[in-house]
Amino acid sequence: MRLPFLALCLFALPVRAADPPKPVDFARDVRPIFAKACASCHGSEKQKGGLRLDRKADALKGGDDGPAIVPKDSTKSPLIQRVTEPDADKVMPPKGEKLTAGEVAILRAWIDAGALWPDDGSAAVDARDWWSLRPLQASGIRRQESGNPIDSFVRAKLNERGLKPSPEADRRTLIRRVYFDLTGLPPTFEEVEAFAKDASPTAYESLVDKLLASPRYGERWARHWLDVVHYGETHGYDKDQPRPNAWPYRDYVIRAFNEDKPYARFVQEQIAGDVLFPGTTDGIEALGFLAAGPWDLIGHAEVPESKIDGKVARHLDRDDFVANTMGTFQSLTVHCAQCHNHKFDPISQEDYYALQAVFAAIDRTDKAYDADPTTAAKRLALEAKRKAAVATIAGIETKAGPELAELDRKLAEGKRTTNGAKRPEYGYHSAIATTPDAAKWVQVDLGASVKLDRVTLRACDDDFNDIGAGFGFPVRFKVETADDAELTRPVIIADQTTKDHANPRTAAVTFAAEGKAGRYVRVTATKLAPRLPTDFIFALAELEAFDLAGKNVALGRGITALDSIEAPVRWRASNLTDGIAPPGPKLSADELAKLTQQRDERLKKSLGDAGTKALAQANADAQSADEGLKKLGPPSRRAYIGTAFSGTGNFIGTGGKPRDIRVLPRGDVTKPGKLVHPGAIAAIGLPFALTPQHTEGDRRAALAKWLTASDNPLTWRSIVNRVWQYHFGRGLVDTPNDFGKMGQPPTHPELLDWLAVEFRDSSGSFKKLHKLIVMSATYCQVSTIDTTMAKVDADNRYLGRQNRRKLEAESVRDSILLAAGKLDLTMGGPSFRDFVIEKPEHSPHYQYQLHEPEDPKSHRRSVYRFTVRSQQEPFLAAFDCADPSLAVEKRNQTLTPQQALALLNNKLTLSMAKHFAARVEKVAMDDRGRVTAAFRLAIGREPTTAEADELAKYAADHGLANACRVILNLNEFVFVD
Amino acid sequence: MNRRQFLFQSGGGLGGVALAQMLAAGATHHPAKAKRVVQLFMAGGASHVDLFDYKPELLKRHGQEANFGEHVEAFQNGLGPWLRPLWDFKPYGRSQRMLSDTVAPLGAVADELAFVHNMVGKTGVHSQGTLLQTTGFNRPGFPGMGCWVSYGLGSLNENLPTFVVLPDHRGLASNGTKNWDSAFLPAQHQGTVIYPGTKTPIEDLFADDREKFVTKAGDAAGHDLLAKLNRVHATSREGDERLDARIKSYELAAKMQLAAPEALDISKETRETLKLYGLDHGKGTFDKEINPIEETDYFARKCLVARRLLERGVRFVQVWSGNDNGFPRRNWDSHEDVKRDHGPLAYGMAKGAAALIADLKQRGLLDDTIVLWTTEFGRMPSSQGGKGRDHNPYCFTNWLCGGGIKGGVTHGPSDDFGYKPADRKHPTEVYDIHATILHLLGLDHTKLTVRHNGIDRRLTDVHGTVVRELLA
Repeated sequence: MRLPFLALCLFALPVRAADPPKPVDFARDVRPIFAKACASCHGSEKQKGGLRLDRKADALKGGDDGPAIVPKDSTKSPLIQRVTEPDADKVMPPKGEKLTAGEVAILRAWIDAGALWPDDGSAAVDARDWWSLRPLQASGIRRQESGNPIDSFVRAKLNERGLKPSPEADRRTLIRRVYFDLTGLPPTFEEVEAFAKDASPTAYESLVDKLLASPRYGERWARHWLDVVHYGETHGYDKDQPRPNAWPYRDYVIRAFNEDKPYARFVQEQIAGDVLFPGTTDGIEALGFLAAGPWDLIGHAEVPESKIDGKVARHLDRDDFVANTMGTFQSLTVHCAQCHNHKFDPISQEDYYALQAVFAAIDRTDKAYDADPTTAAKRLALEAKRKAAVATIAGIETKAGPELAELDRKLAEGKRTTNGAKRPEYGYHSAIATTPDAAKWVQVDLGASVKLDRVTLRACDDDFNDIGAGFGFPVRFKVETADDAELTRPVIIADQTTKDHANPRTAAVTFAAEGKAGRYVRVTATKLAPRLPTDFIFALAELEAFDLAGKNVALGRGITALDSIEAPVRWRASNLTDGIAPPGPKLSADELAKLTQQRDERLKKSLGDAGTKALAQANADAQSADEGLKKLGPPSRRAYIGTAFSGTGNFIGTGGKPRDIRVLPRGDVTKPGKLVHPGAIAAIGLPFALTPQHTEGDRRAALAKWLTASDNPLTWRSIVNRVWQYHFGRGLVDTPNDFGKMGQPPTHPELLDWLAVEFRDSSGSFKKLHKLIVMSATYCQVSTIDTTMAKVDADNRYLGRQNRRKLEAESVRDSILLAAGKLDLTMGGPSFRDFVIEKPEHSPHYQYQLHEPEDPKSHRRSVYRFTVRSQQEPFLAAFDCADPSLAVEKRNQTLTPQQALALLNNKLTLSMAKHFAARVEKVAMDDRGRVTAAFRLAIGREPTTAEADELAKYAADHGLANACRVILNLNEFVFVD
Repeated sequence: MNRRQFLFQSGGGLGGVALAQMLAAGATHHPAKAKRVVQLFMAGGASHVDLFDYKPELLKRHGQEANFGEHVEAFQNGLGPWLRPLWDFKPYGRSQRMLSDTVAPLGAVADELAFVHNMVGKTGVHSQGTLLQTTGFNRPGFPGMGCWVSYGLGSLNENLPTFVVLPDHRGLASNGTKNWDSAFLPAQHQGTVIYPGTKTPIEDLFADDREKFVTKAGDAAGHDLLAKLNRVHATSREGDERLDARIKSYELAAKMQLAAPEALDISKETRETLKLYGLDHGKGTFDKEINPIEETDYFARKCLVARRLLERGVRFVQVWSGNDNGFPRRNWDSHEDVKRDHGPLAYGMAKGAAALIADLKQRGLLDDTIVLWTTEFGRMPSSQGGKGRDHNPYCFTNWLCGGGIKGGVTHGPSDDFGYKPADRKHPTEVYDIHATILHLLGLDHTKLTVRHNGIDRRLTDVHGTVVRELLA
């Protein structure tokens, strides 16, 4: 609503206001007025001028032009001004009955009394008045004299509820628990026994240190991270094409955990590693975070951005960037503000689109980079050198004045390609020679002797060996004419046989013939063009011979040649006079050369000796940088990341120029609204540092810094809560991706803040945080359920015991392979595929049932498995593995008959059960000994007598492999106390 | 995890313990008219104007330059002249329902069907259009309708899955399993893919028979031994119901190994039944080119299996016709030649669907079973490349019948060309269809919610109105 300044127009109302009721009651007196007169335009459906008057928070906040209600001051409240506005075009409401004097009086009295509005659960007036948005409270620590502060916090809460902690678990339980927790794999029987017997008081701490130092730790914890960021290795959607270069991001995450990368840096690299840490491998590979989620190939590659479907696809793509970033690092559901302001949290629709604007220039694509940091550094230095030289050249050349600018303009115009697309009929191509000095010729028969004005040669354009324009154009050659086909008495039109001719690329090369006459025009190459280091050729797209009237008399005429490869349609002799040549510049090579020469002279004249010398130096620098870059060759590796790029066809990218981002009412791409600038969540109140002259990357860098600010309250709370959840099976906040009003409040707010501060101030070290947690008495408690305590705290939210955990899908699979002696611990590199792709050319079908379970490549840890979106691997899916199409903050835990069937009958279990049996068969002479060995390997303890007896009997009746299969299906195999 | 969540996630049968059973009062939000649903999905975009939505105007203007009166954003470029329906239409039943000759078998049940001709989608992209119709959202990450029904109502037979998917045998449609994944709902609500007539119709139902060490006797004894050892383990860990639930899940798995093959075995169906479904053709092999007998065999066989599953208490069966895009066309995406591809597909579909409806009716099951026919979008009333039609997300047809649906009605006509709804301001969307089906199942679509990532998610997002005109 527009609120013009009315200071001079205010005059007394014509009627005396009736006395309002005293005191005014909002619900009884005010709300009905808003509902009757205002709600149709300023309510839940429409918010004209950004104002809504049906909810406290929004009404008191005001509209696009600021507050409408100024509590305690009705005369300064634009709301009152508008309902009393004398101008019939401006008064509110615009249609229907005006407010009565009595109603106006009620509104005045209500505002003057302070605009009291009972809390209606709408967003709080102070947007930050919510636990997760308040500054971190480090002061609330209750330190005991000694011991782990975590235990103090937990015990305080237990005491409040009359609960008590449980005793410490025994050594055998502890080692199995902490092994699975930190590495995702079980300890060996021998390790369990040694630890159980180790009397040292530091035995547990040493064990924890050992596990945190193990590479298995990074593999285990990277998998948790990959769940949250919905990492997948196919695009999803229609056709679900694979992403063969997604894995560098997975390896980056594993490496980051193993190297204990500080969290702030970890976050920054994933948003803007290319900008903040240029030249590093991590800075590129980390950007796989942005590209982790699904991508609509059809909506991007088959539909241009100008079509509605293309716009929808790109909007959904940015939505995924925003949701992934803010969900992962902030535990905020920003994506809810796509169609309207967030209904519960202080996130405006404009905030949401400001975040889209941060990612407005990027798309998902493969990026080439140097896997070797030395090469990357070299490339970076050369690129910098080149950039500096180019800048120097530009600086010097401006001194040459407007004449130079004019020459530059002419040159640019002359180099502009004439219209036309490249055609498949390339030209004439000689046979291949092994040395450059074999002479080759091709000639045209004009049919009769013609007096010629000029002859024009046009070169080919073939990408073979990255040669491109000028392909096969001879280095030395001559042009002759004669009346006989053997050219016994040739007339020379051009002789370029004594020095190398510059490659014209696609520019025309014209020679004046000055009326020389002949029936045959022949081009003889005396020094051939290289095609490969060992191959030399002579190729020409077109030969034109113009008579004195200016007509090309060669067009369509017959060709003879010494030799020709004749590989139609691209290569054949007749292509030489078919009138088809690659599109080239407007001016001929000669004319361009002339202009260039003029330019050189102009420079020399205006720059003087010193200037000319400096320019020569800068040109030499640029050239040497170019040569250096050429020598480095193209980058060695590709990673699928979020980056600005320039593509072809419909998927053209942005080339780094951000797309305009506008607020989309109701998320509708056909109704773009207000243009927005990059930013983050305004209500959090942290600066978003961005200058007006920023680059695309600066936007992401600004967001990365905003996210990792030490006083961003969400970042640090969010991550310590995630870590806690994976250690205990439940977060201190049970909705790890939603710290807003629809999420759960923390059970231990002081502990959460203490951990957040501790983590932030220990340079964001995950390993220190893990150690702190797993060394706590809270972590080391037994998981035995105390029935009395369970009555008070059935869900164990207050941690009067540890939680028994059901193994995740990956741990089940890896443990099966480990028990069978088949687990391959090779780290990193391209993912293994446990499927066969059928119909790869169109819509790949990922056929898991066709995979051979004995394939050793598939015996690596599950984190290295190629994760398909359209069809999840059935075994892992049965065990609730993360669906890569959605952000998985916490996995479901189900116990279904399908899960039982998978563990019993999946070909992996069956094949491993046989290997497992073969493994234990060797270690003992009888079934009892063998099943005992199997039990130790799979369960990590000695079987009881009864267990050993039963299993031995079963093995005797049904075979050792079946006994091993039973062991892999035990409850104890998939639950950890 | 509290007890309630625990029961949700790990309890009882394949459908787990249903939401309804958790609600204090009654089994549903309101009394239900139907208990089961069959969804017939035509992958690729079935042409409403050639099958169900009769447009005399197209006959009149056939071959004339197509004037839509506005800019049309087609999926591919190159809309040609108006193209008449590729088959003649004739009236059927008391309702004088106009049906195309290629779906003539449906004439026998015409009076059971309720048509919606003003369906609109959001985009002309197959993946998004398909997800929208199967899950109510045009991006991946949301549960299919069958998952929601399983979640809301639970199982009628704990020895069989609650939600069964019968894919086209040639491959999955666009988005693969995303069309029936449980997403954020617990895994037991996911659609279980069944390939009837194969050795292992359900993933891992039996061990591969090349694994000779696995025997029936060994498995039976193994089940007993497992239960025994697991019970000892559970006894020493009192109070953790998950341990008992896992023991139970193995018992159910064993029962399913018996129940599923029986449910899928059509060998004991009578000759009359096989004839009804067009499965009496006597052919063992089929022509290379797409043909009606083969299409009937594929689709009607799935319809017959669907009937057997519904009879045995499966809540939701999704039957697919057509695989993902590819050549030669084995789906409904007839850009090149509607007659060639739609002809056999539509005939096979009509034969199977009509038989299913008649069969359900004669067994008294149609009264509480809803049949929904749908596709991701329709096709343009003008031609493309002479004999084909481009996507039309602006208008297409659904039909429903059975439990609580009023037969013989038509809701929401399209315009004279079948280009857009006649009343553009009041189209029908998938949310309305979903809301109507849930309503008939006794569920209020605004109340069937699950909190995920800060939002109370619904099958119908924030939309949906029950279409009263369709209710009996």
